Amino acid sequence: MNNKHTGLINNENENENKSFLRTLIENNVTRRLIPKGLSWFGCMGGLSLVAFLIQVSTGIFLMFHFVPNERGALDSIHNVTHNVPYGWLLQRLHAIGPNIMVGMVISHMLRILFKGIYKHPRELHWVSGACLLILTLLIYYTGSMLSVGNVKAHSGIHLTYIYAIHVAGIPLIMGLFMGMHFFMVRTTGICEQL
Amino acid sequence: MKDYTKDRGPERLEPFFPNEMFRHTIVSCFLVVLELIAVSIFPLPFKVVNKPDNISWFLLPLYKLSKLVHNELLFILILASCALLFISWPFLVRDKKNKMLPIKNAKGADSCHILQISERRNLWQRPILFAVVILTISSMIQLCFIKL
Ligand code: HEM
Repeated sequence: MNNKHTGLINNENENENKSFLRTLIENNVTRRLIPKGLSWFGCMGGLSLVAFLIQVSTGIFLMFHFVPNERGALDSIHNVTHNVPYGWLLQRLHAIGPNIMVGMVISHMLRILFKGIYKHPRELHWVSGACLLILTLLIYYTGSMLSVGNVKAHSGIHLTYIYAIHVAGIPLIMGLFMGMHFFMVRTTGICEQL
Repeated sequence: MKDYTKDRGPERLEPFFPNEMFRHTIVSCFLVVLELIAVSIFPLPFKVVNKPDNISWFLLPLYKLSKLVHNELLFILILASCALLFISWPFLVRDKKNKMLPIKNAKGADSCHILQISERRNLWQRPILFAVVILTISSMIQLCFIKL
């Protein structure tokens, strides 16, 4: 009796869980309706995100091989490109991808600027986005310093610090700002004027 | 989350899945292909940063500016104030219009009130702002070509 009872409760729980997941998926994906005829230019924000995710995944791979000090950095990059299977591909993707990502972010920004989408109620979207653009430039800059042997001679900062900022500091802050950015876009809805 | 179904009929709506998902997938694939093409075309960017040939296109204006402005503190101040202006742009350029609108007061009688209405316009409908933006962009491009 008791067992049966608990079994029932478990079943109910399972059903509850399932239905929660199901409502989540239905509300957000399968049954969700969106305005017709959104501009293809509206993809630029999404593409910036995809480009960022490519950077994160290739970057995590590179972290396993990179030696973050003045003496080891260049050799470790050579090692990745020559000795690790497909290392050359991921290293190059990580080095060239940011140029494309910056292009995407800038065209996303220009679209919003020229269409005046930053106006009320979307001021904070712009603020978080503008911070994201600055952070993107910063992460590019710190990243390009990592592939330079004698970075200390140029900037007076230890490569290890730059590495820490590049792989942890800036990405974490970017994640935070992206979270705010997406949350705000979801709350106000996408702008489909003009 | 914003409910798009509230203020428009079914003819102006479309399903997120599969329509929008499909579009997202297509453009994401397009991006991956673009990156793969770029990887196969361009050589490894793998040189000293402090040389102009290896500064990437979007950092070039900043690099040139840093060479033009000799004082380091001044350069950082300029950068910081530009960043601040950029971030606070929506608050600097609010376009509010004063409109007289009839509003019912508590007793139900019409009374005229001045309402500030923010109206969204394209940038090119606002000549001064448009000029400011175009001038900024073109001066950044010109900075890239300055010979030092
Ligand atoms: C890493 C950088 C960024 C990512 C990943 C990103 C991502 C996105 C995404 C996915 C959207 C929703 C779809 C769209 O309209 O494209 C969006 C909307 C928006 N973004 Fe960004 N964004 C970034 C940078 C920026 C920048 C630099 C700005 C402006 C300075 C900006 C301002 C906005 C605004 C105002 C919206 C609302 C658009 C609307 O309501 O239609 N974002 N962003």
